[in-house]
Amino acid sequence: MEFVNPEGLRLDGRRPMEMRQLRAEIGAVARADGSAVFEMGNTKVIAAVYGPREVQNKSQQSNDQALVRCEYTMANFSTGDRKRKPKGDRRSTEISLVIRQTMEACILTHLMPRSQIDIYVQVLQADGGTRSACINAATLALADAGIPMRDLVTSCSSGYLNSTPLLDLNYLEDSAGGPDVTVGFLPKLDRVTLLQMDAKLPVDIVENVMQLAIEGCKAIATYIREVLLENTKQLEYRRGL
Amino acid sequence: MRLQNYGFRNFVGCGFGILLPMSGPVCLLHCRKMVGLSLGEKHFIKGGIDQNIRSDGRKRDYYRPIFVETGVIPQANGSARVRMGATEVIASVKAELGKPSALHPDKGKVVIFVDCSAVAEPTFEGRGGEELSAELSVALERCLLGGTSGAGAGIDLTSLIVAEGKICWDLYIDSLVISSDGNLLDALGASIKAALANTAIPKVNISAAASADEQPEVDISDEEFLQFDTSAVPVIITLTQVGRHYIVDATSEEESHMSSAVSISVNRKGHVCGLTKRGGEGLDPSVVSDMISVAQHLSELLMSRLDSEISAAEAEIGDDEES
Repeated sequence: MEFVNPEGLRLDGRRPMEMRQLRAEIGAVARADGSAVFEMGNTKVIAAVYGPREVQNKSQQSNDQALVRCEYTMANFSTGDRKRKPKGDRRSTEISLVIRQTMEACILTHLMPRSQIDIYVQVLQADGGTRSACINAATLALADAGIPMRDLVTSCSSGYLNSTPLLDLNYLEDSAGGPDVTVGFLPKLDRVTLLQMDAKLPVDIVENVMQLAIEGCKAIATYIREVLLENTKQLEYRRGL
Repeated sequence: MRLQNYGFRNFVGCGFGILLPMSGPVCLLHCRKMVGLSLGEKHFIKGGIDQNIRSDGRKRDYYRPIFVETGVIPQANGSARVRMGATEVIASVKAELGKPSALHPDKGKVVIFVDCSAVAEPTFEGRGGEELSAELSVALERCLLGGTSGAGAGIDLTSLIVAEGKICWDLYIDSLVISSDGNLLDALGASIKAALANTAIPKVNISAAASADEQPEVDISDEEFLQFDTSAVPVIITLTQVGRHYIVDATSEEESHMSSAVSISVNRKGHVCGLTKRGGEGLDPSVVSDMISVAQHLSELLMSRLDSEISAAEAEIGDDEES
């Protein structure tokens, strides 16, 4: 199947280096300490952060840093075929772990000992790149909750089909059997925190594809920064400053 | 901060999640959600309800602002998102072809499933929300699906049949609770009604020549759709008793010290379609019949409110498609 046609357009009309449309909204869940909705094309994800709060399970309490917990769930209606079990399957467990490790690396946990930070991510619509959308949503939610972080973590995926590196794969491109590289990036510190790839890729192309994903992450970071700035202006305005 | 009177008439449809003004009581809610209510606060809420003024300025029989958006899940046959104050739920309807049960060969099947997301409450993490999900799913099925024979259902199951005894539509109604601030059942009922109004079931052409035992071939049309008929779908009104009075559309702090709650589903004709009582405290039978008549009266207002909201939401989709 042709994923990049001779004119250089992909299945949904994008160019190979073009990302899907981004949309973010802060404060979607009133009861949470911080929450955000993040959309990358048709993938829509909602994240809520509760914390820092008292540790529920005293055996897990740590005296010198905060405990970070994360749960990733997909709604029944998020995929094309209806999912039977929203949570508890292996893929969800793995992604929960991945998100937890990524966020834990950038939260300044030593500032909040003996406390717990819960990150809950719910996928409302899945069209490829759910992992990345979840990390981006979690970053926004953590910022909304005012939790101190080293840097904003952003994430983007890239692949390699029809001999072309592609940025931000959707579901069809993801399930094509080509490689899918997911990168988590700290833009200010210029460091990669998450790197996952499946399927095969020639060694000399790996760096190219990874660099493309990093460029995507930097673009998302710029967008997230704009959204946070706009949100802060709104808060100032409402407080009458 | 000015407290706004949210009645049926002064409805404020907020289009974006951020901009609901943070009035005093909501701020209290933020700090207080992990700890219980103090005695002073309990007396304040109860006393207010006795005097017909609740914490956010509403009267006992007023609903919070209701906001409906349909067509939020493109890959489902129908979907809707309903927000009542800070409670937000999403419902989606998916239709798949299946075989009718042997007991009712002329009826399709409907399955209602509610999922309480951990995003709404940290206690819903893992299996914590299962009990509440099961309770809500069963209550919704009781209100919307009628008796075991299928008679008296709010959703007309005979309209889902394609080939009697062989092929029928299975409707899977999935709801997700995103934000919980009390009165989940009413919000879920409203979202299911809106999602069904948005549902378009594709037309099926059956090949005529098929013997009694064979499965006929079906051709699901991509172009023609049948809009689902929701005129008989009821709405659910939950009346929560606090002290000597009952209130409608309770917030979670009001629900936290209710003595009992009765959820009544009423359809357009004013007939009661289902009844659920929650809470251990006993109710005088006369109180129950009074609650039913109050619910019947309120259901007219809620039904017309929802109908106008749903048609406004559907019209918006129509405008978007044209532009």
